[in-house]
Amino acid sequence: MSADAPTQTTLGVAGVGAYVPRLYLPASAYREAWGKGGAPGVERVAVADADEDTLTMATEAGRRALRAAGVDAGDIDHLALATTTPPNDEEECAVRLASLLGVDPSVPTRQFGGSTRAGAVALAATSEATQNVGDGASSPRLVVVADSPRGAPESDEAAGAGAGAAALVIAEDGPLAIDAVGEFGDPAPGTRFRRYGSAETESIGVTQYERDAYTRAVAGAVEALGIDTTELNPDAVALTAPDGKLPYRAAGALGVEPARIAAGTVVSRTGDTGVAGPFLGLAAALDSESDTAGDASSGESPASSVLLVGYGGGAGATALALGTEATDADSAASSVVPVEAVLGGDVELSYAEALRRRGTITGGEPAGGGAYVSVPTWKRTIPQRHRLVAGACKECEALAFPPEGACADCGSLAGYDDVTLPGTGTVEAATAIGQGGAPPEFVEQQQRAGSFPVAVVAFDGPGGEGGEADDRTVSAPAQVVHSPAGTPAIGDRVEAVTRRIYEQEGVVRYGFKVVPTAARR
Amino acid sequence: MRDVYIVGAGQSAYGAFPDESYRSLFAGAFEEAMASAGGVEAADIDEAVVGSLGVGGRQLGLSGPAVTEHIGLHGVPCSRIENACAASGYAVRQAVQAVKSGMADVVLAGGYEVMTDMSGDVGKYWLGVSGETEWERLTGTTFAGVYAQMASAYVDAYDASPDHFSKVAVKNHANGAKNPKAHLGFECSLDDARNAPVVADPLNLYHCCPTSDGAAAVLVASEDVASACDDAVRVAGVGAASDHVGLFQRDSYTTIESSERAATAAYEMAGLGPDDVDFAEVHDCFAIAELLAYEDLGFCERGHAPELVDSGATELGGDLPVNPSGGLKSKGHPIGATGAGQVVEAFKQLTGRAGDRQVAGANVGLTHNVGGSGGAAVVHVLEGGAL
Repeated sequence: MSADAPTQTTLGVAGVGAYVPRLYLPASAYREAWGKGGAPGVERVAVADADEDTLTMATEAGRRALRAAGVDAGDIDHLALATTTPPNDEEECAVRLASLLGVDPSVPTRQFGGSTRAGAVALAATSEATQNVGDGASSPRLVVVADSPRGAPESDEAAGAGAGAAALVIAEDGPLAIDAVGEFGDPAPGTRFRRYGSAETESIGVTQYERDAYTRAVAGAVEALGIDTTELNPDAVALTAPDGKLPYRAAGALGVEPARIAAGTVVSRTGDTGVAGPFLGLAAALDSESDTAGDASSGESPASSVLLVGYGGGAGATALALGTEATDADSAASSVVPVEAVLGGDVELSYAEALRRRGTITGGEPAGGGAYVSVPTWKRTIPQRHRLVAGACKECEALAFPPEGACADCGSLAGYDDVTLPGTGTVEAATAIGQGGAPPEFVEQQQRAGSFPVAVVAFDGPGGEGGEADDRTVSAPAQVVHSPAGTPAIGDRVEAVTRRIYEQEGVVRYGFKVVPTAARR
Repeated sequence: MRDVYIVGAGQSAYGAFPDESYRSLFAGAFEEAMASAGGVEAADIDEAVVGSLGVGGRQLGLSGPAVTEHIGLHGVPCSRIENACAASGYAVRQAVQAVKSGMADVVLAGGYEVMTDMSGDVGKYWLGVSGETEWERLTGTTFAGVYAQMASAYVDAYDASPDHFSKVAVKNHANGAKNPKAHLGFECSLDDARNAPVVADPLNLYHCCPTSDGAAAVLVASEDVASACDDAVRVAGVGAASDHVGLFQRDSYTTIESSERAATAAYEMAGLGPDDVDFAEVHDCFAIAELLAYEDLGFCERGHAPELVDSGATELGGDLPVNPSGGLKSKGHPIGATGAGQVVEAFKQLTGRAGDRQVAGANVGLTHNVGGSGGAAVVHVLEGGAL
């Protein structure tokens, strides 16, 4: 191909991130509590912590995908978010995600929902998007999928409800090319739906009807790819997985071995993750790390071709054929696409603890009211809350957080230049706030998750830890999440993560907390 | 500028009083103050300055005139000072300035708070309003958490342990048991203090003061007025200072810089130093705060407060008794009343009225009142037998 000729580029996956909460509820705990089996084929379900939701999980998955792909958020040209369970039914969730990740405000954001098919729809739409994208630079795009479905406590949906998020960086010549997209829809009402205003997914429970609707839609979308499955021959098939049995019922109709479906399915370890299911399956299939292997036995070679199908109750499906030119020999040892994912939980909950974490049995905001930080006041601090934007004094260059008022070091009122902190830091002072010791706006969090450590953290300046040329630090207070030892020790290293801080007037305020570096995964 | 004296002082009992209002509590304190001041009538009072955090929000504005009206000082100019837990320490300072300037000859300074008649959540709301709200409080901390962070840094930096916090509690309870006005006027053993439930690691329940209802009143007067009174305590020195409201904004978590600055100014004005002090009422909202006060007020070198408490010097019979009243820990902490209440104790000590807890030979006393975790601090050096 000559350098002058117009180039025909193909979009492909250039990096994968996946996030599953560390808390999990084993199926045995559900059986013990209810005296009946849980969701078929589900051994454990991931449970979002009290301060996690689809937006915080999406943020974590997005950051992981960007790191895996080696792409700066500021270079992303298109952002798509899919979720059936956004924090609010109506509101620009994708815009907040863009802010949390550091994606430029002028970048188009697209939000998808309405059914668990939405993740695959978001990927298909991203691969087809041309507007404002592809200006000749590498033009990476980011697709983020996150869900945390709920069901009525006694329902099969609740028994299988998990939580998780994944993200794909899509770039020109990404190693895992998006070769084809196929779609299929055929009305099958009652198969999986959520009523207006309800948080609980349900189905009418007509087993064979629901299985047929699933199989028909999935097979129809794959057929619409226009590629024969024997030619497609995917190493892994990643399907929407409401439970651990349904995906395998499509094997016959798709003409693939159940083992290929197992290689792209993680539902047995995460529970139903809605739109995120096939993407977590994709992450598992692409990663050779044993921890992230799919329901197939670990140690398989990473997949070099994946058939990803999103299914939504009602019913419709979108299929994407993903493949690489690499030979089996090339890909046998290492992943064709960089993946940053940890899919297994490491903190087991009892059934009662899981209900507390989900807020099923806790009381909401207390009568005493909370500290009133007005929403406009909060809005002014979003660069600090979302992205740790500190200031460097224009006079003495000392760091300030938040960057406002007189410089604490030199007293100058000259103002500050923005400096984005890397998010790593060192504990300077720490305690743990026991239940009953928190201000009222944190009572709900304590009811859900118990006591929490709080630290004053000396955040590293732009030079990083002990930067030789720049060893400035700046202190800020932060809650500590996942501190296995309880109160962290002074001197412990920590890293910032995005969590829900609190909710007031129906507005969730997102900000940073820290996780001990030693406990980070 | 002319000398200023405390010519009378009184306080309500501190505790939980569902039958009292902030105004009736203040009336009780005022009555005791007037009774202690032979030679001054209510009609002599030119002005009133009172401190309060907000009495649970029921009278956020104009609670000052509401109390002066209630005690019959109708028409007397009254202003309320809000500086969190240092509100009425600052009210006393304001009264001293008014008299020194010559604008007033007799000023009533005091404070009041009602904190026990609200539900737990409402109480916790009010306990947190003086912290740095946007960042510090929104990590889920109230003051117990912030002082616990200071304690963690102190234990990390120096040869100190939670046992030193427990010893402060034992000492202050021993003193408070001798104070009929104390909220928690009982003795506690070291084991009681060691084994209390954790509030905010490393602080347990005995390392934290209670929240109390109460009021305190102090009559501040010119030398001319004081010379005609039965008793007068000279305000030898006053110092006050502010600092960053949020702990994370400060250079050090093991000093309260505003305390140090306030003490330096008060000593300088008095022409006295820490060695001249016979006893001190310090702001022990949490046990770590008393240890920090020892160092910030110059009673010992940095890092040596644990030694000082181990030595017994700050006990009632020691070289430098600290918190003979029982302190905030045992006497109680009705936020707006606390600073003036410390001056009430100093007046009693310096005029030989402190009963079982009298510090023998007390001639110079120091009061130390802190707002929040150190955003404001005020120190008075008071001298007895001067007239």
